Amino acid sequence: MLRLNNIEVTYLNVIRVLHGVSLEVADGAIIALLGANGAGKTTTLQAISGLLHTVEGEVTDGSIEWDGERTDKRSAQDISKLGIVQALEGRRVFGHLTAEENLMVGAHHRSRAAAREDLEMVYHYFPRLKDVRHNTGGYLSGGEQQMLVIGRAMMAAPKLMMLDEPSLGLAPMLVEEIYEIINRFNSEQKTSVLLVEQNVRIALSISHYGYIMENGRAVLDGTAEFLSNNEDVKEFYMGLSAVGKKKSYRAIKHYKRRKRWL
Amino acid sequence: MAEFLQYSITGVTVGMIYALIGLSFALIWKSSGVANLALGGLVLIFSWIFYAMLVQVGLPLWLSLIVVLILALAFGWLIERFCLRPLIAQPILSLITVTLGLEFFLEGLAVFIWPEMVAGLPPLFPIEPLKIGPAVVSQAYVWAAVISLILFGILTLYFRYHKMGIAMRATADDQLAVQACGIPVTSIFSTSWMLACVVSAIAGILISSISGLTHGLVETGLKAFSVVILGGLDSFIGCIVAGPIIGLAENLGSGWLTPIVGWGGLKDVIPFIIIIVVLFIKPYGLFGEVRIERI
Ligand SMILES: Nc1ncnc2c1ncn2[C@@H]1O[C@H](COP(=O)(O)OP(=O)(O)O)[C@@H](O)[C@H]1O
Ligand SMILES: [Mg+2]
Repeated sequence: MLRLNNIEVTYLNVIRVLHGVSLEVADGAIIALLGANGAGKTTTLQAISGLLHTVEGEVTDGSIEWDGERTDKRSAQDISKLGIVQALEGRRVFGHLTAEENLMVGAHHRSRAAAREDLEMVYHYFPRLKDVRHNTGGYLSGGEQQMLVIGRAMMAAPKLMMLDEPSLGLAPMLVEEIYEIINRFNSEQKTSVLLVEQNVRIALSISHYGYIMENGRAVLDGTAEFLSNNEDVKEFYMGLSAVGKKKSYRAIKHYKRRKRWL
Repeated sequence: MAEFLQYSITGVTVGMIYALIGLSFALIWKSSGVANLALGGLVLIFSWIFYAMLVQVGLPLWLSLIVVLILALAFGWLIERFCLRPLIAQPILSLITVTLGLEFFLEGLAVFIWPEMVAGLPPLFPIEPLKIGPAVVSQAYVWAAVISLILFGILTLYFRYHKMGIAMRATADDQLAVQACGIPVTSIFSTSWMLACVVSAIAGILISSISGLTHGLVETGLKAFSVVILGGLDSFIGCIVAGPIIGLAENLGSGWLTPIVGWGGLKDVIPFIIIIVVLFIKPYGLFGEVRIERI
């Protein structure tokens, strides 16, 4: 179980981008972290995974706990050993490595036998990766690269897998396919998933609970069902608005609604 | 003809040692993208340390070797830890500048400790020369080539199959993504520096067993730059092909062609002519990794 208590994150000692974010990821759950560009979603993931240290950020207030232990001062390596893994945003495969080598890097800390087994498991979830396993990562298609990045995270045998915008820049069909696999992985392997997305509709389709972030704060949270039916969420994040309203009026309402959250 | 063959064989074998030094460069370049300009200094210092152990201290050959290799590992670790790590996330140029500083430091250090400048190693390999056809070659050359090839094979396998080797290649592609896999890139960098120092040390010992010890070993170290540029900076196979080409060009240039052409400078120019021609045709070098750009 992961718990963020009111964390504040500051970059380069001066730029504060998170102003008190609290969230919880229960064991085995899929939790969505939603919000527009620049809301602080990636920063939140990096705070959890410890990668924040390498990008010159720091948790300056609040705490992060994993199964009751504080992790916010620990190194990325120590945190990964707890079973927390982050798949980076933007399909960052190792371009000159083959697909299979990419996966093996994900299993760096595991025994050879365990890695072999998990390789089969990843190929079971992503049969496409098996077909291209000897191809160079940099030349794979966008969808294959995204699968590779998720597969690489799976290779760490994580207890908590954090995915940063897995739908980014992919065709809708592929997004559906990948999401279905994430869902299946979660229910079969009991791995918790913290899912960062801008694509709110697809993220809520598989999540149990979600948080909406804006300007470094979690402004709204609730079950997937609650969020999907929330008027504000529908309007601002799913592009659906009540029929018949004029566009100019929307802008004003937008402003008011935001106020209500903050 | 015998002369031609003779120069070819010595050229190729000495080229194998250049290849080894090139390998040391490629190791660091491959994982961290840092051009190690201290190659000459490393080759120099380890050769002299070996001399000190074997001749000045009088240790047996095997012990001298072990001492040098351990020192090389330690030195590689120290360089990474105290010279390069403080500069992580700084522009790559500052890192390269540090290696240049290291080069001058090592050269100065060698002059300071061994002011005699010239020394000879006792023969490390059997001294009876080998007859290859009409040519007569000293065994030191042959052994140097064999040892270089073995090291080349080991490193190639290491990079291809060992998880640390794979992680090193991954680091060359994306450092943050490597960290996201729970691997501290600092451990990758220090491993690559340690390996590079060991390879430089072995190359230094081999070359000084052939041509003796001088402070001119620095220049031998610098030859490796021709090798890596020709071979393609990050490619092991590039090194092992380009090294002998450079060695061959040099030896044929000096021993065989110079008397014919009658111009002594030819020897030093030939490698560069080859490099320029090759880079025209293949901008990444003979075996350089092509930058992948997908649209
Ligand atoms: N390394 C950094 N240094 C300074 N500011 C940063 C850094 N990374 C992100 N930011 C800033 O933090 C804010 C949140 O960014 P991010 O967490 O990437 O948002 P999201 O992932 O939701 O798009 C942005 O305003 C961004 O400019
Ligand atoms: Mg982001």
